[in-house]
Amino acid sequence: MNALGFVLTNFWALLVLAFLGLVGMRIVWRLRKYGATRRELRHVLRRSPFYFVVLVFCFFAAAPFLIMFLHTFKTDGDLYRRPQPFVYRQEPTLEHLDALFNNTAYLDFIRNSVLVGVAVVIITLLLSLPAAYALARLTGRWGERAGILMFLVYLVPPTLLFIPMFRIVVLLGLKDSPLSLIVVYPSFTVPFSMWLLQGFFKAVPPELEEAALVDGYNRVEAFLRVVLPLSLPGIISTVVFTFTLTLHEFIYGLVFIADTSQRTLSVGVPTELILGDVYFWQPLLAAALIIAIPVGLAYNLFLDSLVQGFTMGAVKG
Amino acid sequence: MSVVQISGLKKYFDAVHAVDGVDLSIQQGEFLVILGPSGCGKTTLMRMIAGLEKPTAGSIHIDGADVTELPPRKRGVSMVFQSYALYPHMNVYNNIAFPLKAQRREKKFDKATMRGKVENIAKLLEIDELLDRRPRQLSGGQRQRVAIARAMVTQPAVLLLDEPLSNLDAKLRANARDELKDFQRSSNITAVFVTHDQIEAMGLGDRIVVMEKGKIQQIGTPQRIYDDPANEFVATFLGSPSMNILRAQGHRFGFRPEHFLPKTLHDNPANSVSFHYFVKRVEYLGSDRLVYGYVGGHENELTLAKVPSNVRVSLDIEGEYEFAVHHDNIKYFDEASGERVEAQVAGAAWR
Repeated sequence: MNALGFVLTNFWALLVLAFLGLVGMRIVWRLRKYGATRRELRHVLRRSPFYFVVLVFCFFAAAPFLIMFLHTFKTDGDLYRRPQPFVYRQEPTLEHLDALFNNTAYLDFIRNSVLVGVAVVIITLLLSLPAAYALARLTGRWGERAGILMFLVYLVPPTLLFIPMFRIVVLLGLKDSPLSLIVVYPSFTVPFSMWLLQGFFKAVPPELEEAALVDGYNRVEAFLRVVLPLSLPGIISTVVFTFTLTLHEFIYGLVFIADTSQRTLSVGVPTELILGDVYFWQPLLAAALIIAIPVGLAYNLFLDSLVQGFTMGAVKG
Repeated sequence: MSVVQISGLKKYFDAVHAVDGVDLSIQQGEFLVILGPSGCGKTTLMRMIAGLEKPTAGSIHIDGADVTELPPRKRGVSMVFQSYALYPHMNVYNNIAFPLKAQRREKKFDKATMRGKVENIAKLLEIDELLDRRPRQLSGGQRQRVAIARAMVTQPAVLLLDEPLSNLDAKLRANARDELKDFQRSSNITAVFVTHDQIEAMGLGDRIVVMEKGKIQQIGTPQRIYDDPANEFVATFLGSPSMNILRAQGHRFGFRPEHFLPKTLHDNPANSVSFHYFVKRVEYLGSDRLVYGYVGGHENELTLAKVPSNVRVSLDIEGEYEFAVHHDNIKYFDEASGERVEAQVAGAAWR
């Protein structure tokens, strides 16, 4: 706690120091490598404005995360004191984090969300892989039109559908269970994933499949052994997108499940931590930050294939 | 003995008759070239032999068995694609072993046997150093060899090749052509080779099938096709520059530019037909001179002559010369159908 307390109370100073340290090390490293000539110094000076702009954008992008982190540990008195809410004037405290984990069903929310997310990703892949392949390859005259129709389904907003969907969920006896979401979420993840995957499948030359057919495989095997491995970036983007779609879905999660311990993150966190007009800011921010970090890392890790996924859909669609 | 027997084969894509009634029998161990301009149906014909395209009508027998309705994997054929279609996510070894892995499910043989087969074929094609590479790390020529190795490793009844040389640059292509022919001879495999390049066709084929508009125009040895074309299409499609065709009463006749020479070069003028030849332009091509001009009485029909450079005859622009063609080198075609007819039928005046 002492170390954390020190970091938090001197947060901005440490951030500036860390930045200056990094910049200094970089400049020293460069000058050591190429010699501290006038030409090198000029180079450093010339490049500085560029990095300054990059820095501003980095800060802009990171600011929400920094502020979430900063405020998680504030006491109420410190948080609501004006002006200057971004510095600590009282001791940082862990009580809100403690409250989030021990007084709310946050861990249940995480478990439910992961369960729903993983199940929906699996169902979505099982349905949309063959569907996308069929749309990309085996289209007759109606193939393209069928694809557009299915994509239109995706455009119908859940706000129109949640009441009929609720009737279905009740009929199936799945009310108040995460299973209801596992059943309903594919209705929007499948059309979306299908559309995304279709672009990747179209980018695989048909000749490769034909070669596999001639080499002694049937169509399913050719798909599994040739098309799937080559579409791996597409499948990864589909998984990431499907998972995040389920993670931030709100209305179905709110309507289908009334039992707190069965709720998912996107519903559970705001319903538990916002009571009427009272916002429990510190645990809210902590809850958002904890779940945002793995998702953000996943996006960064697969950034290339995600971008490829969308541009490919745009060009080949 | 015929390996592939095709009869009455048709393929219609809606209104387009891609292949329109083809009968063909391919003999064991021969190198058969299917030649034709793009869109003549040659690739569709090959894809039907491979089983990648379902015929509208007709039948295909391979090794005596009717395979018309069978999927590609049950036909005992293999194919080299124009783009080679190597699997980019596998190294060369796995590319070549891919068809063997499919076979292993039925014919049991162990991994060592498989490795042996792959290494043998790789050595034969001189790509045994490349087995660990990925296709994108290979040159065009190497890719082509890998594609051939993959197609040959299962010792298929028929090897189908879809313009496999067209992606190579010109220098490499001549070399690859030579090696392909050697390889086919030594392995005694039946090969069907589709191309639009007549030089490839003439150089490689034991027999050539000339196709146009979905129909076979002529089948024969390269020499037969060149010297004795069945119709005007075959006559003009083969040869570069192509045959001169001139209009006469009720028929057309043609002769190749290389047979159209100054009269003084013909040893027996009685056996040849002479023309007044008006020279408009001369191109010097090194080994030959290509002469553009026209023949007296056919002022609107461009007529070319290909005169070897070592013939010491001066040919001036705007000059008028006596040129002649040997009787045997003049072909007559029916005005309406374009079919070849005999000189007597055509009623040629100079006979």
